[in-house]
Order: sequence, then C-alpha cells, then structure tokens
Amino acid sequence: MLRHATKRILGLGLAESRWSAPRFYHERVVDHYNNPRNVGAFDKNDPTVGTGLVGAPACGDVMKLQIKVDEETGKITDACFKTFGCGSAIASSSVATEWVKGKQMEEVLTIKNTEIAKHLSLPPVKLHCSMLAEDAIKAAVKDYEAKRGKPVASTTDKAAEA
Amino acid sequence: MLSFGRVLPLLAYRSPKMWKIVLRTPLSTFTRKTLTHSVPFQLLQHNITQYQNPPRLSTLCTSNSTQRTRVFRNPKIHFTWNSELLGNSSGFCSSGSPEETSCCWNCKTPRPFLICQSCGSVQPVDHSVDYFMIFGLERKFDIEDGSLEGMYKNWQKKLHPDLVHTKSKEEREYAAEQSARVIDAYTTLRKPLSRAIYLMRLEGVEVDEEQTISEPELLGEIMEIREAVEEATDSQALNKIQSQMEEKLRHWFNSFANAFGSKSFDEALKTIQRMTYYHRVNEEIIKKL
Repeated sequence: MLRHATKRILGLGLAESRWSAPRFYHERVVDHYNNPRNVGAFDKNDPTVGTGLVGAPACGDVMKLQIKVDEETGKITDACFKTFGCGSAIASSSVATEWVKGKQMEEVLTIKNTEIAKHLSLPPVKLHCSMLAEDAIKAAVKDYEAKRGKPVASTTDKAAEA
Repeated sequence: MLSFGRVLPLLAYRSPKMWKIVLRTPLSTFTRKTLTHSVPFQLLQHNITQYQNPPRLSTLCTSNSTQRTRVFRNPKIHFTWNSELLGNSSGFCSSGSPEETSCCWNCKTPRPFLICQSCGSVQPVDHSVDYFMIFGLERKFDIEDGSLEGMYKNWQKKLHPDLVHTKSKEEREYAAEQSARVIDAYTTLRKPLSRAIYLMRLEGVEVDEEQTISEPELLGEIMEIREAVEEATDSQALNKIQSQMEEKLRHWFNSFANAFGSKSFDEALKTIQRMTYYHRVNEEIIKKL
C-alpha cells in the first residue's frame, strides 16, 4: 500500500517539467527515487512529533518531513517524509530522513544541504532541492521545540530563521 | 500591410472552435486555414493602426525629452519607456547602441518593425521590442481573449522561415529567429502565469528559482490538495479539484493584476508563488486524467 503510494509520488516526479535535457543522475538518486525510505506520515498533533513543511515555490514543490523524538533523551527515534516534487527533491528528503534517525536534535541541525547534494551528486541546478531537505529538517526540529516550549541549546541562528 | 486587409474578410467568416495552434507548422497551414478564433474587430483595427505607424525611434527620442521617462531596473533591458506613450503602446526608444538598426538592412527604409514595411524583408531581432509590443498590446496583465491569435498568425505569415527559403542566408537566419521569438512571445503571453512572470521580469523582478518557503498555511493547503489528487480514483473527483483550482487561479490572477498595477512587486511575487502551486496541481490532474 505504502509502496503503491510511493510509486505514485514518484510517478509525479519523473515527468517533472523542470527535468529539462536528459541528464544522468547518480545511482544514489535513482535508488532513493525508486525506493524512497521512510515515506509516510505521523500524527502531527502527537506531542513527540515535529513537522517541517517547506516548499520551493518556483517549481511548485512541497516537502513534509516529520521526526519522532524521545522526550527523555532528545534523540530522534523515527522520521518520515512526503514530497511532491522532482526526483532530486524526493531523493534529498529520503536521504534526510535516513540521516536524522538515531541522532540528537542538535546534531541534525548541523546537516547541510551541501552534504546531501554531495552524497547524491546533484547537479548545480538541483542544489535547491537539497536546500529544501535541509530547511525541512530545521523546520521539523523547530516545530517540535515549539510544541515542547523550549529551544534546543545549540540552535543556530539559521535554524531559528528556518 | 496589404495582408491585413486580406485577413479581415477571413475573420468575418470564421467558424468556431476549429483552429488549433500547432507550433512550427508549415507556412501553408497558416495561409490555407481561415482565422477561426474570435478576434475583436476593434482590437485588430487598433493593432493594424499600430503597425501602420510603427515606433518612430528618432522622433520619440528627441521630441519627448521633457516628458517623464522611466528607466528599467533590469540591466538586461537597455531602453527607456516613455510613460506618456503607454496609451498607444508603440512608444519605445532605443538606447542607441550601434548594433540596433533603425533602418531596413535591405532598402534602408527607416523604422522597420520585425519586417520592413516597405520591402517586406525580415529584420534582425531587436531585443528592445518586448513581447507585448510584438502583439501591439499595452504592457499590463489583463489582455482580452483572442487578442493574440490573429496577430500571431499574421506574423507567422510574414516571418515564417518557409517564406524566405530562397533569400540570403542572413535573412533566413533573421526569419528563423524572429519567427521563433514570435512563438515565444505568443506562448508566454497566452498563459496568465507565464505572462505574469514575464511582466515581472520586464520590471526587473525575477522569480527566485532557488527560494524556499515555510508558510504553513499555503503549504498545508497544497499538501492536502496534492494528496487529494493522488488519492482520487475517478475522473469526476479530479475534475472537481481541477475546477476548484481554476477558481483559485482566477482569484489570484486578479490579485496579481491589482498588486502589479499598484507596483507592489513583493505582493505580486507572492501571488505568483500561489499561482505556480495551483498550476502544478492542475498539471498533475491533467497527467492523471
């Protein structure tokens, strides 16, 4: 079922008009695109869940990334995403959910889009897709903090903006 | 200019819903088919008047120096716009760069506009002529339905590369460029969203391709709509969402027109973001239908 839904999302992605000329993507992009990890949704009203909702208006992409946090330790126990956008955006958010799992919230705030882009070998025109994933992580942490009513100690200025 | 006269009778006998635009179609299709799309007669007349009175580069540059001119912020567009002349939309004034021709390259008749009015030679592309000028339209968001089609076909009848295949290599290149540019102009202005983005670009405001936003209200709404599209199982459900999107788009087109009209470019950009999102939803629906 989930698989089916994922395929549907992906179907939207490939035909994305902004994928202009034929371009060869790194096998990791293709892999995350064909088998995205952690597609799904948590209850956004759950107090242990932080939801980050970001978008790239020029492409009409929208990305939702959610984290489930252990209240005792501040560790991210689970993460999921749902992205309507191009393949790079889907792969970026898929990687992001993998990377945040098992990490402390302070730690995930240091994840940079350039790392995601490098991991996926994204072409320059697709860098903003990884930016979307970075912003989504920050927005999710921020949402969780807002629910808890206290900020994470090492929240950077940039994260506060996001 | 004779061909305008030839077109008018055709317009009178148009039959509805017959023509479909096929870009890059051979010239013969343009000439054989009658113009079937509704083009208001007055508007066409207006356009014709403009083409009979093409922009007078030299006179505009000198005689109106006391009138208020506006310099565009976009460094790519090197010309000033004389706002007093917006009414007939034919007033533009070249910044006088040497490569811009104000005379026909062939017969030296002054002020050619895409083609020479005198000898009909296709001219090199003049980038100070914007897409609105090509269609003899005022530079504003609202354009009347059908005000583009007639002019588009007319231009293609004069500029289509098939027409000049016996001419010099230069003129063939001019025709290829001009004709492609008219197609670009037509496709850009025809759709409200691309027209809005183009208008903003003419004002020197570019849509930031890399910008990310986190507006929960808008994104939440889009996420819901996209999920609804994804989950929709029949065309009825999809059509319903599509008509909702059309309604939203109409609303935001108006908002854009107002924001742009009052030069609130930040607000205009916001409306473009919305429109892009709704437009994307429609694209997805079309793929599924």
